Amino acid sequence: MATEVLPDDRALRSGRRKRALAHMEAHDLDVLVLGRSANVRYVTGARGLWTAGTHPFAPAAVVVRATGAIHMLSTWDEGIPDDIPHEQLYGLTWNPMNWVTVIRDIEGAATARRVGTDTISPTFAQLLPLAFPFAELVDGEPAMRAARRVKTAEEVSALRQAIGVAEASLAAAVGELRPSVSERHLSGVLLEAAAAGGVTTPATQEVAWVTSRDHPWRRVDTDSRVGPGDLVALTAGVVAGGYIGEVGRTWPVEGGDPAAVRDLYRRSAGLWELLFAACRPGAPAGDLLAAYDTAGEPLPPMPVARGLGLGFDPPVVTSGLPATAAEERLEPGMALAVTAYVWRRGVGAVLRREAVLITPDGAERLTSSPVWKR
Amino acid sequence: MTVIDIPAEPDLPRMNRERGARLRTAMAGQGVDALILLGNNAVTYATGASWPLGDSGLAHVDRPVAVVVTDDPWPHLFMPFREGTSARSPLPADHVHPPVYLEFDEGVRNFAAVVADLVPGGARVAVDEVTGAMRRAQKALFPGGPPGDAALVLTAAKVIKTPDELACIRTALRITERAMADVEGALAPGMRQIDLSAAFVRRAHEHGALANVLDPIWQVMPASREAGVWTTHGDLALPLLTTERELARGDVLWTDVSINYAGYCSDFGRTWIVGQDPDPRQREQFAKWWDIHSAVKDVLRAGATAADLTRAAVAANGGSKPWLPHFYLGHGMGTDPAEMPFVGTDLGEEFDAQLVLEAGMVLVLEPVVWEDGTGGYRSEEVLVIEEEGWTALTDYSYAPYGD
Repeated sequence: MATEVLPDDRALRSGRRKRALAHMEAHDLDVLVLGRSANVRYVTGARGLWTAGTHPFAPAAVVVRATGAIHMLSTWDEGIPDDIPHEQLYGLTWNPMNWVTVIRDIEGAATARRVGTDTISPTFAQLLPLAFPFAELVDGEPAMRAARRVKTAEEVSALRQAIGVAEASLAAAVGELRPSVSERHLSGVLLEAAAAGGVTTPATQEVAWVTSRDHPWRRVDTDSRVGPGDLVALTAGVVAGGYIGEVGRTWPVEGGDPAAVRDLYRRSAGLWELLFAACRPGAPAGDLLAAYDTAGEPLPPMPVARGLGLGFDPPVVTSGLPATAAEERLEPGMALAVTAYVWRRGVGAVLRREAVLITPDGAERLTSSPVWKR
Repeated sequence: MTVIDIPAEPDLPRMNRERGARLRTAMAGQGVDALILLGNNAVTYATGASWPLGDSGLAHVDRPVAVVVTDDPWPHLFMPFREGTSARSPLPADHVHPPVYLEFDEGVRNFAAVVADLVPGGARVAVDEVTGAMRRAQKALFPGGPPGDAALVLTAAKVIKTPDELACIRTALRITERAMADVEGALAPGMRQIDLSAAFVRRAHEHGALANVLDPIWQVMPASREAGVWTTHGDLALPLLTTERELARGDVLWTDVSINYAGYCSDFGRTWIVGQDPDPRQREQFAKWWDIHSAVKDVLRAGATAADLTRAAVAANGGSKPWLPHFYLGHGMGTDPAEMPFVGTDLGEEFDAQLVLEAGMVLVLEPVVWEDGTGGYRSEEVLVIEEEGWTALTDYSYAPYGD
């Protein structure tokens, strides 16, 4: 982070815009109206104000394919790249009809035939046709997903930086792990370390928890303090330069059954090796689900893998979407957060999450945080 | 005069029951038989589920979804099995379902099959978001025709808070204020903006925050409007983002932070000066702010309109609006950091004149005063509207400007 609000680097911006425009063409879209923060960042290269959780749809950026012009919601020009001039900025409004007026006046709106949105609310589904009188309103998210699923070299470099901050903040929390420390304290330390490392925007705030000895995934809901023999899971997720860096580790606290703990970590390591082996170009994403079966481990409650990028990127590999995973092929340039999760009654769970980049001849692990070994 | 009795601790089961009743009343009022909710804060309101919110980018794919049917007292919750998910659910076991993935055709197909069992055919359905995959499956998912907008139902239900909701908001505010007191106590020249953010998120979590809600704002105010960043309307920019900028003695900071407790947001805004006391002109800014905010509170009570408030503020400010054109004089707050009632927005004077305030609404008052060369003054005060006036939910000091 710098001492002033800067737009994303020019090479990063132009590489992404080229991909976005190419996929607009491939999806026959004249205009894209984007509301999701990650899509907006992808095409504009401007950092927005981070607020937690989902946001209701509003037209925060408009991309016109014919001219390549990008119009965006911003009441000021700080941090806005110079290729989005003042005339292409529109200010915050609380009045839905003002959105219509602003968008209707954008060059290309009056003649657009096909307009994509990345999601929509029923209200905007009624309003947007007023701004695009001759257009069919369609789903534009597939075009953005297609653009975003494969990372440019500049994006990979941004991901590496984000992962670096995530790993440093994880290390700070691991350093505080001892009996009687609270989950809250660990969360506070990790988030503080990320912020001090220049990232004040978390990707997840589910930071530290004592894994349950009685249930495969539920949280121990007692006093939220670490006790002897607990297996404590820690996940760090940051949004740095817009990109999500994630890493997860589980550390045991002294006082458990050493043989049982060692056995569980052995299972975790075996599962991870199978998962990493499934990360290869051309393979179906479903191989990641199959890796659990091969290892003899039940599928975990959370996605086994999901794309890393500016937010939610394909694929999402989860027990709930087996057909989707079977159809999806891994490609060089995809980045994934891959989760190995094992549990044993009476002991607890070991969660391990690694960031992986699919390469032309295999895969590269982007994370390097130490794993507990005995 | 009756005053709302806010319990010291929220009774969460009672809160869920009362919110459910409000939601069903609003559904009936708008002719809606079933709600399908995707927005994080709407799901929290409808189901009582709260979790540490993550980045919006990830939240799209890993999000809880709620289905509310008017003749069932319990909502249905489709909950991702999040890492560390709490063992306690406020809902009966047969109303908690595995997660659904509404970004994908396969996920929507699965969801539509479940919804067909939960929602009677021909029901009038409202939804707050329609993903691309939902749009493609519109006929299967919404056999009764295009859905209405659930945001309108939520707005009507949420605008008046139950006493337990007020207790949650007050707790969220207290956590925030304790954390901000720690940050304010450490504020000194040479610190970077992100150092303040780091201290705040740590202290807020330690004091009991479920999540941080807003990238904390520590905006260094310019010497003049002219010297500030360009804006579409020519007035001040706010909020400008936090960087590694080092703070200098005499910098005037407009601060703004928000956290979440049990699904409820806090809002905190104060003006601070780095490493020195305000000069007489700066104290005058605060005095003027105080006059404006007092004038508004003088007319604030159930039955007053939003326009009564804006008129009082404009009069106390000598005829011009003491708030920024892209914002408002005040806003509500609950599961969303800013929600109805909005007072003084570009929804316009007619909207304000028709907006009648009611007891149990929460209002965050945030007038702004500005004179070049002073850094201006802005603070936020959180009030609950009562039959005969208001009750402040906060008592944080206005130091170094005044008490």
